[in-house]
Amino acid sequence: MAISVKNYTNRYLVLAILVIMAIWALLFYALLMDEVYDNVDDGLKNQKIEIIREAFKDSTVITDNKTYGINQFIIREVAPREDLDKNHFSRKLIYMPYDEEDEPYRILSTGFFSKDGKAYELEIRTSTVEEDDFLINLAISLSVLYIVIVLSILIINHFVLRNAWKPFKETLRNLSQYRFGESKSFQPVKSQVKEFEELNLQIAKMIDRNEMVFEDQKRFLENASHELQTPLAVSIGKMELLLQDEAFNESQLKKLAEAKQSLHRMVGLNKSLLMLSRIENHQYNQIEKIDFNALTKNLLEELEDIYTYKEVQVSMEEKSIFLADCNPELAQILIGNLLRNAIKYNKPQGQIQVFFSERVIRIANDSLGEALNPKYIFERFHKGTQDSSSNGLGLSIVQSILEKYPYLTIQYQFIHNQHVFELIKN
Amino acid sequence: MKILIIEDEIDLLQNSKEFLEAEKFLVETAMDYPSALEKVMNYQYDCILLDIMIPGGSGLDILKQMKAANRKQAVLILSAKDSVADKVLGLEIGADDYLAKPFHFAELLARIKSIIRRNAQEGSSLLTYKNITVDPENRIVRIADKVLTFNRKEFDMLYYFLLRPNKLLEKTTLAEAVWGDHSDQADNLDFIYSQIKNIRKKLKDADAEADIQAVYGVGYKLV
Repeated sequence: MAISVKNYTNRYLVLAILVIMAIWALLFYALLMDEVYDNVDDGLKNQKIEIIREAFKDSTVITDNKTYGINQFIIREVAPREDLDKNHFSRKLIYMPYDEEDEPYRILSTGFFSKDGKAYELEIRTSTVEEDDFLINLAISLSVLYIVIVLSILIINHFVLRNAWKPFKETLRNLSQYRFGESKSFQPVKSQVKEFEELNLQIAKMIDRNEMVFEDQKRFLENASHELQTPLAVSIGKMELLLQDEAFNESQLKKLAEAKQSLHRMVGLNKSLLMLSRIENHQYNQIEKIDFNALTKNLLEELEDIYTYKEVQVSMEEKSIFLADCNPELAQILIGNLLRNAIKYNKPQGQIQVFFSERVIRIANDSLGEALNPKYIFERFHKGTQDSSSNGLGLSIVQSILEKYPYLTIQYQFIHNQHVFELIKN
Repeated sequence: MKILIIEDEIDLLQNSKEFLEAEKFLVETAMDYPSALEKVMNYQYDCILLDIMIPGGSGLDILKQMKAANRKQAVLILSAKDSVADKVLGLEIGADDYLAKPFHFAELLARIKSIIRRNAQEGSSLLTYKNITVDPENRIVRIADKVLTFNRKEFDMLYYFLLRPNKLLEKTTLAEAVWGDHSDQADNLDFIYSQIKNIRKKLKDADAEADIQAVYGVGYKLV
């Protein structure tokens, strides 16, 4: 699963800081303990010198300190040995009445020769740091520090990154609004972050390239359709002249007529393609307030012969007048295409219901087939299964027209075996 | 009847010329702007078929020149550019009608005839075949002097038949002529059949000497 950059970096930061602090805590602890023992040991060594010096002056020091008393040292007589005056440090737990438990002591064991040459053993002790308590305290304070650092990073990241990524998010939003054929629909976002500037630059370049390809394609389509017109007209004309020829018999005439009809379909396709490019080239700019109810009624009247021949029943319900700003010609094509489809894909003796309200035109027709896939029906050259004579451009022309009018949208549904197209005004 | 075709595509020009000559018109042609302008300015035609895109200039410019010179000629614009703006502009400058390419010859003929009829000052514009007479101006059909009522579409179809009796009229031509653009998306043109049936019945009931004959799979003919 994808996670945001913020969480991605945070996850690694939190882990990395944990490891760093653990290593640092170990080193810190070792260093500190070393320093503590060094100090304690220095103190003990100093005490040793002072005690020995005192013992030289006053022999009672030797006799009075056979056990630990107020003075934290003892002096015992021992057999002389070579390394008597060597310092030996050790650590030992000794009961401390104050704490009512054993506490760590640092003990210096050494020895000396008195004035009269006797060998004495000297043991000096001093209370030292409680390593376990120290360790616990250190762990607690480091944990607190860790939490504080992590929280600060999260908070700083949250605010700083949110700000830093703002242009990126805006760029994303603008990209989602970008539509082919309209390079103006993408607005680059000003940013002080170098990477985002770069991103903007590259996106702008990409859009330019795409627009160019799109333009080329559009022009190609347009030119191809234009160039096709003349040869089509010539062939159709020649066939028409042949059809007038009395020399042909009926079956030959029929074949000629069929060939001519196919050419006429090509002309229709060509016209539709030209229409699409004209719509996309904004050649229908004159806009009027259109009364779609009246327009639909006119069209239905013109189509009457065609639907009565199919024995299709048309019913109309007008709750209110649907008014919208639109080019009159495009409005005619828009509704005409929807109505023609409703007739064409109807079943014999089927129904067409047309409903108007202030904001919705609903055209529903009985269907022979199944629900159409709303994902594809507005695509160019998408054909249903029952089609043979359609060029698959009717609905894509509808779509292209609606793209010019953002306040109009079309929706397709399949309800109770009826294809339902709704033109909605926002 | 004299017709001038201004058209740069030689094949299209040949087609139209051949068709119109078969219809007993006198046809002259021009293939570029200068020769077209020269003919238009110097000779009188009953109808000029004008292509908008011709080498050396625009068909619309020829119209403008004619208007400037105050030369009144009947003009039918034939254009591959099926755009309303062009159509409106052409009609504003002084053309009589506009037909988008490609067209059916029957339709071309109907348009030419109606332009000629409108511009004719005197004489009868009645079409007659056997005992059927059609008055396109007043949309009246008479059979042996008896007036017969037809609805709009039936009349339009009958008019096409009378323009060219004994000639084959294709279903597509009829459909486009009478129902316009809507016909190209109708899945089949059988709906014409019921209209033809009505016309035939009316003709028969009125004892017309002519009848509409089906050419199977292709179209119909008035015989």
